[in-house]
Amino acid sequence: MAFFNRVSPALVEILNKLQSGESLTDFDHNLYEYGSVRYNIQASASSPQIVNLSTWMPPLSPEFSSDCLPDCALQDVKRVYLDSAEVVEPSKQGYMLTLRIDFAELPQRKDRMKAISEISSLHAVILSSQMKDMLWNLEPRYMGNGMCNPIKIVHQLKEPFFVIKMLEKTTVIYPMRFKDDTDVILATSFFQELVDVSNLEAHYKAPRCTWSPIPPLELRGEPFQYLTTNGGFVSLEIFSQHIRGTKADNTVWNLLTFVSYVKYHVKCTRGFIQRKMRQRQESLTEVIRSARIRGDEDVKKHQIGGHKNVKKLMNFSRSKMFKKRYTIITNKIKKFHYRIKIKWLLHRFRRQWLRVQKIPLLRKYRKLD
Amino acid sequence: MATTLRLYLTCIRNTLEAAMCLQNFPCQEVERHNKPEVELKTSPELLLNPVLICRNEAEKCLIETSINSIRISLKVKQADELENILAKKFLRFLSMRAESFQVLRRKPVQGYDISFLITNYHCEDMHKHKLIDFIVQFMEDIDKEISELKLSVNTRGRLVATEFLKQFI
Repeated sequence: MAFFNRVSPALVEILNKLQSGESLTDFDHNLYEYGSVRYNIQASASSPQIVNLSTWMPPLSPEFSSDCLPDCALQDVKRVYLDSAEVVEPSKQGYMLTLRIDFAELPQRKDRMKAISEISSLHAVILSSQMKDMLWNLEPRYMGNGMCNPIKIVHQLKEPFFVIKMLEKTTVIYPMRFKDDTDVILATSFFQELVDVSNLEAHYKAPRCTWSPIPPLELRGEPFQYLTTNGGFVSLEIFSQHIRGTKADNTVWNLLTFVSYVKYHVKCTRGFIQRKMRQRQESLTEVIRSARIRGDEDVKKHQIGGHKNVKKLMNFSRSKMFKKRYTIITNKIKKFHYRIKIKWLLHRFRRQWLRVQKIPLLRKYRKLD
Repeated sequence: MATTLRLYLTCIRNTLEAAMCLQNFPCQEVERHNKPEVELKTSPELLLNPVLICRNEAEKCLIETSINSIRISLKVKQADELENILAKKFLRFLSMRAESFQVLRRKPVQGYDISFLITNYHCEDMHKHKLIDFIVQFMEDIDKEISELKLSVNTRGRLVATEFLKQFI
C-alpha cells in the first residue's frame, strides 16, 4: 500500500518531529525505503530550524547516471520546491540530491503540513520527472525492420518494464511475474477484465490495454531473462492527451506503480476469498450442529475453533453466565445430597416395609360363659 | 441445468438413505478395537458394493458402505482455471477444519475433491435424516459458493480496472 502513496510516511514523521523542536541535539538519520531509496536527514543543535535532506535512488533507465540527478529532474525539483526548500550544490557525497529546508521560512499550521508532505514526496517527484522526460523528450529509436527499440525501466528491483516510444503513441509493456499459481490465475482474470473495460465506449479516453501470454512483437530481441514470465504481458498505449497539463503527473505515477497496484489487488482478492470461505464454513457447521440428537446444551458446550463462537460466548451477558454457573453448581450439590438421601430413604423403606407386618385380628376374643 | 442437479441430488439422497444402516461392529482382526471397516477393507464380507453416481464427466459421487461406516467422496464441477483454484482452496480450507464438521475426512479419497466418513457413532449422536440433509445441502452450498466466489472475483476485478482507468481520464 505504501507504494501508491507519493508521500513517504517516515519522512513526514521525522520532519514533523524536527520542525516541532523536540530534538535538541545534533540529528543525523539514515533512512531506507522500498529496498533501494536512501535518505539522509541532518540537523544541528545550534540551528535546529535548518535541515539538510539528501537522497539517492537508482535511475529509472540505464541511460541516466546513478551519481547525479538528470538535468530534467533537477529542474523539476527546483520548480516544485521553489518556496519550501533550496537545492544545495554540490550534493552531499554519496547522494544525488541535497535539499536545505528552513522551517522558519515555511508557512504556519495547515500550510506547513502541506509543505512538509510535498517535501516528503521527493522520491515521487524525481521518478516522475525522469519518466516524463522519457515519454516527452526522447526520440523514437527505430530498428531496421520498422519497429522501435524498447527502453528498459527498472522502478522496483528485478521487475523491469519497457517503454516503446513512437511518433503518435507510447506503449508501456509490463512483463508480469508472480510467485504463486493462484496469484497468476487471479491476476489473469483481472487483466481480462482490464482489457474488456478499456474497450468499452465509456472509457474511450483511457489508455488502451492489451494482454498477451506470449511476449509482444515489440519485445522480440530482448534478453531471455526479461521475457520469461508466468503472468503474461500487459501493454498500455499512452497518447498525448494522457500526458498533457495536470494529467501528466498522475499518468506517470500510475504507470510507475502499475505492477504494485496489480499485486495489491491480488492480495486483497485472496483476503476476500478467505473471508467468504470462513463465513460459509460457519454456516455449514450450524447445519451439522443442528443434526445432533441431544440439542442445544451440547451444541454450546462443544468446543469449536473460530472467532464467531467466541463472539457467541461474548454475546451472553455476565449475569446470565453467572446464573448458568450457579445452577450447574447447585445441581451438582443437590445430586450429591440426593445420593445420601436416597440411601437413607432406602434404609427407611427397608425398615418399614420389609419387616413382617402384623395382620390385625378381625374379631376380638369373646370369653364364653 | 437445475433439473439435472435435482435428479442427481435426489439419487444421492435415496442411495444414502438405503446405505446408512450402520451398527456397531468390533474389529475382527484386533481384540477390543473398533475401526471403520470401510477405511480398512480387510474383511470383504463386511463391505457392500460401492455405488458411483455420475452427473456428468466432471461431477460424481462415490458411496462406499460397510457394516459400521460409510464413506462418501465427491468430485465437484470445475469449468475453468479460476473455478479450479477456488474449489481447491475452499475444499482444502474445509478439510483443514474437519473437526468442526465431525463427519468430514481431512484428506479426500484419491481422484475426488472431498470425502466424508460417517460411522455408527455419528448415527447414534445425530439424526440420520439430518445427516443426509447435511450432505446434500453441503453439495448444493459448495456449488453455490464457488459460483458466487467466481462472480465476486470477476466483479471486483472489473471495479478495480474501472477505477484504475478513470485516473487517466
